[in-house]
Amino acid sequence: MQRAIESVGIPTILIAALPPVVRQNGTPRATAPRVPMGANAGEPHNVEMQTGIVKDTLKQLEILDSPGKIVPLPYEYIAKV
Amino acid sequence: MSLKKYDGLQSEIYVPITPQPVWAPVKKELKDMKIGIATAAGVHLKSDKRFNLAGDTTYREIPWDTKAEDLMVSHGGYDNSDVNKDINCMFPIDRLRELAKAGFIKGLAPVEYGFMGGGGDIEAFTDKTGPEIAKKLKAEDVDAVIMTAG
Repeated sequence: MQRAIESVGIPTILIAALPPVVRQNGTPRATAPRVPMGANAGEPHNVEMQTGIVKDTLKQLEILDSPGKIVPLPYEYIAKV
Repeated sequence: MSLKKYDGLQSEIYVPITPQPVWAPVKKELKDMKIGIATAAGVHLKSDKRFNLAGDTTYREIPWDTKAEDLMVSHGGYDNSDVNKDINCMFPIDRLRELAKAGFIKGLAPVEYGFMGGGGDIEAFTDKTGPEIAKKLKAEDVDAVIMTAG
């Protein structure tokens, strides 16, 4: 999906919980906060964390200059299972 | 030195193939960008048809001004408990609206997209669903797309 959107000329960035999977699938740009699958954009109701993740992810649009990079983000949420 | 060559000889070890890179350059500053959301997390309007949890290559359109409480998830491939508490965990629409209000981005795309990723009919996603969503985003002059998947 990301690749399809990118192929029509629209830049994309993906927030990944599983960086090895998105690398394998050929992501053009991604960020990876330390989050479980299902809370890629951060802990439920943690507005500060979610804003941080979304903002830092968008900022990478202006920073990244070549495909395939996955940028770790300094946010951590461990779900209580 | 000459090496003996066998046509069609393959390793028995599975070697994963990473696809060729794709890259659309960023041409604007964030504050001038209209940002869309596309998520593989199975997000859709509560009033919409649910995804078939056994596999579904269709997608749902979500207007940019949809209230968070009018959204839900149907996805059989991950633990939905966080996203059921707060849709913004996978579909940060409230956060993007706040960032637009604050002038960090110009605004949201008029329509966002939800689909059910995590496998299934990859060919249909690659050849049909992906290009369809891409075409619609292009027609709406969306400058960049933020995604959650994987």
